[in-house]
Amino acid sequence: MSGTEKEIKELVIARLETMPSDEKVSIGSAGEFNKEELISEVKKGSSIGKKIIEVEMEFLRAMKEGIIA
Amino acid sequence: MNFLITRPEHDDTTHYLSNWAKKVIGCAEIHGFNVIDLNREMAVQKEFESRITKNNPCLVMLNGHGDDNLVTGHQNKPLLIGGTNDKLMKSRIVYALSCRSAKELGVKAVSSGAKSYTGYDDDFIFSYTPSMISRPLNDDKAMLFFEPSNLFIDSLIKGNTVQEAKSKSEQLFRKNITKALGSQNGANLAKNLWWDLRHFVSYGDLTSSI
Repeated sequence: MSGTEKEIKELVIARLETMPSDEKVSIGSAGEFNKEELISEVKKGSSIGKKIIEVEMEFLRAMKEGIIA
Repeated sequence: MNFLITRPEHDDTTHYLSNWAKKVIGCAEIHGFNVIDLNREMAVQKEFESRITKNNPCLVMLNGHGDDNLVTGHQNKPLLIGGTNDKLMKSRIVYALSCRSAKELGVKAVSSGAKSYTGYDDDFIFSYTPSMISRPLNDDKAMLFFEPSNLFIDSLIKGNTVQEAKSKSEQLFRKNITKALGSQNGANLAKNLWWDLRHFVSYGDLTSSI
């Protein structure tokens, strides 16, 4: 894993840490995940973990580009 | 006019989809539609195909899990499959609240004659509050996701074109992103709303209406 990939993973995990414990996320057929499970998938680098990273990074890019105000 | 809706309900995700779809059914009934509601065990391929053929609905809403080329019903069994029974969507306006089905199935359905197919070309993601599972319609987090989705069908029922209905849904998605960002820990909701908005697509004749 490159340094950048490691940093991205750490960033996504840090942002997931802010998620309330009484919240779950439904990700299609993959199922439903709470905060700990989402973080675990990101750490493992599973396909769901990669999806979670993609969702986070798309959002951060949109914020940076001012698409989301 | 006939409106056919499928509502499997066998896990948390389909439980939320199915319950929020009740609001759409209410709106359709108020506007004089005859609603063919395939709920739970009724949301199976045989029943679906039979009701489509018999009732000839102008509007179809599919709720359930999905993949690039299919939407599933009860217990995740295939309901509508690209290249197999997508011809049944001919001359209809279709909305799939389902993961990824717009990617291939949507394109095939339109090629087979569907007026339009609206859905998501990647996973439909939503946040919810597990402690509200018995009262999903009171779950404020889930509401942020399902209200824009429902608005698409509600707008079609009220006579809007596919493009107009899609624009209204997109505006509400955006409004809810802003609302989420203004709430405590709302960024986690906002990112999922943004994802759904980005992957909300329509194919076919977007000037068509019911």
